[in-house]
Amino acid sequence: MTPLVITGLGAVTQGVVGRAAFEGATREREVGSFRAPTLFDEARWPGARVVEATDFDPAPVLGEKGLRNIDRLTKFFLVASRNALEDAGLKRDAKWLEGADGRRAGVCASTAYGSLESMVELHRVALLESPRYLNPAKFPNTVINAALGYVSIWEDLRAVNATVCNGNCGALDSILVAESFLGTDRADVIVVGGAEAMHEALYLAFERLEAMAVDGQTFAPGDEERSKGMRLGEGSVMLTVEREEFARARGASCAVKITGFGTSFEPPSSEVMIINLSSEAIERATRLALDDAKLTPSDIDAVVSSTNGYSAYDAAEKTALASVFGAAKPRALVKRAYGETLGAGGAFALGTAYVALDRGITPAAHDSAQWPADARRLLVLATGFYGNASAVVVERG
Amino acid sequence: MGSRVYVTGAGVVSSLGYGREAFQRALIEGRSGVTRVSGFDTSAIGRDFAAEVKDFRARDWLTAAEARRTGRCSAFCIAGARMALEDAKLPQDSIRGERTSVVLGTTMGEVALIEKLDRAWVASGPEGVKDIEVSRYGTTLLPIHVARAVGARGMVLTLPAACAAGNYAIGFGADLIRRGRADVVITGASEIIGHVQFSGFVRLGAVAPDRCQPFDLERQGLIVGEGSAIFVLESEEHAMRRGASPLAEVGGWGIACDAFHITRPHPDGEGTLHALRRAISDSGFLASDVDFINAHGTATKANDAVEARCLNEVFGGRRVPVSSIKSMIGHCMGAASALEAASCIETVRDGWYPPTMHYSQRDPECDIEVVANEARRGAHDVVLNNSLAFGGYDAAVIFAKPGKIPSEAPCLR
Repeated sequence: MTPLVITGLGAVTQGVVGRAAFEGATREREVGSFRAPTLFDEARWPGARVVEATDFDPAPVLGEKGLRNIDRLTKFFLVASRNALEDAGLKRDAKWLEGADGRRAGVCASTAYGSLESMVELHRVALLESPRYLNPAKFPNTVINAALGYVSIWEDLRAVNATVCNGNCGALDSILVAESFLGTDRADVIVVGGAEAMHEALYLAFERLEAMAVDGQTFAPGDEERSKGMRLGEGSVMLTVEREEFARARGASCAVKITGFGTSFEPPSSEVMIINLSSEAIERATRLALDDAKLTPSDIDAVVSSTNGYSAYDAAEKTALASVFGAAKPRALVKRAYGETLGAGGAFALGTAYVALDRGITPAAHDSAQWPADARRLLVLATGFYGNASAVVVERG
Repeated sequence: MGSRVYVTGAGVVSSLGYGREAFQRALIEGRSGVTRVSGFDTSAIGRDFAAEVKDFRARDWLTAAEARRTGRCSAFCIAGARMALEDAKLPQDSIRGERTSVVLGTTMGEVALIEKLDRAWVASGPEGVKDIEVSRYGTTLLPIHVARAVGARGMVLTLPAACAAGNYAIGFGADLIRRGRADVVITGASEIIGHVQFSGFVRLGAVAPDRCQPFDLERQGLIVGEGSAIFVLESEEHAMRRGASPLAEVGGWGIACDAFHITRPHPDGEGTLHALRRAISDSGFLASDVDFINAHGTATKANDAVEARCLNEVFGGRRVPVSSIKSMIGHCMGAASALEAASCIETVRDGWYPPTMHYSQRDPECDIEVVANEARRGAHDVVLNNSLAFGGYDAAVIFAKPGKIPSEAPCLR
């Protein structure tokens, strides 16, 4: 791929708004603060443990106006995107700085279940009251790409706008979509990443699939022997990416680059199955990403893992990594800190890789292997639930 | 140099029938797929016409296992993909592997499943929600089901770009091939009509009482439709190696975002102008090279006026024939521009321009050359497919006779 420079980061999750706070969380947050849900009635879900952005308030970043009909997901996207553009030195106080131009800037990001909140909300009105009472101002939120549509409106991003869905892999895939847009000169800068918002319907879905680790059960992503399940999180990480010559010309730091991308799909072995946690797909995605970056497995210093605590999911990654690398590489276990954020998962991983390389931060959430202090090349993984997997190589210098 | 990208097969599920040829024949005859809604009770909604796919039986196209594990939207995708593979004369196993990707568009995906799951939840609590049905939901699943059906092991991506999703998927799918990431891309889009979504469009005041009249002075809004159109895109080398007969060549494409309003188009059409110009220039053409435009033409007041103005601006007053097949199949949302692409490909092949039905009075705000009420034939080397969408999305794609895209075109560099 054409290497893309990462020049800015924005983030929203529990206790985090903005880059500095995300760096702090990367440095210090070994395990996230998994608590009973507050966004829905915990009494209906005994023992439920999730990470919610309980303290999130978009108003300090976005102002008070215009937020009434915008859903939680969109607010995450808006704040993280604003952060990422300002962090990249393209905007200040929400305005483009000289030389930056909304006609050459875009957004391309992932959400796996983004419109679920609004779909359920509107469906309840139609079901329990009458379709006559659907709020037309909220109806657009049921459309998956509405959230990024609002990001373009708020942030004046007119060159490209693409919502990307590939389950947990979508945020990494947004990089390839952005690379294609930048490589065909459709834009100069693109904000990539992902967001997911907590909702009872989402909790219900994973609870019905018996994937959750409830209170009292071991939650330990990356430790497939002990961990009893996953836990959901929410939020957004957005990263500003550009071609190197553009970043260099405007004087932005070109220290950290995305140099390789790979993705793959492996169908389940049985026709009746839908879920497939596939080590083959992870392995192929990893090898493709390494080839794309013109690297060999030994060039990789550490891995930013996709493991989420569901043991079969974590075991698939372990098998794939053993096959590619032989000896285990140190792994950052991002979902210990932020939970499984689904469509945003790859973005939290990529954000972690970025600040680890750019600032030399050792992610607090990592496995027992020593994280290399001078890490230069990281492999970032995203494993889907359906046999889909994506991988990205991020390099410093 | 980027490879030429050929469409070598197409499959269609529509309110006017199955398969690209039957679909286009119905369009040329000016038939309508619009009838009273049969899928749900509309008595409280205030509108009751739509273009539904009424006779779709998943088992006609899907295996028993596929039919069990898919929702209706995914089933439309698999059906379309099977037809497209057969149309392309690709043996079932010939595109198995990592060099085949699947990129599909939609607006709401398996919307009916969400409604069903939520009804069960309300009626019987969480225990009423069946885990098998939970695992069938997910916009992500559309390309995954198709990848399983065709043996693709490359990228599996959904681009939910609302009513521009078909053009997004085709454009990005073509770029995947040109940029060397795939040899074959199964692409297109699918949409089904859901209760909330139908009601929502009505609540937005966007839905006409009983017919869709694009560009007409008396137009009263859109009619909701559903369906899918799925295509086989192949690199030139892949297509030639197996002796395929391309149906059409995919040219350049343009996208932009209005960044203006979540549902209304920009009054000056800034994004649409950019997308149209980029699609044409990317293909190495001038506006004067375009023979026919398959327009977005939703028949809402706002869309048609802005789109017509943009077309006049881009084509400098040249009277390029324009048609909107939404007058016959309604607005199939995410699938709209894919179904329109299927029609574009047929136009490239045989030169028939499908009519814009129900056109009776010229609107001075839509001063364009509408192919009114009767199909006609004309030049057909280069056809433009235009789309606008929720979220301010704009996308346009060029289709041309195979080999017509100039080798120096930017999209082939």
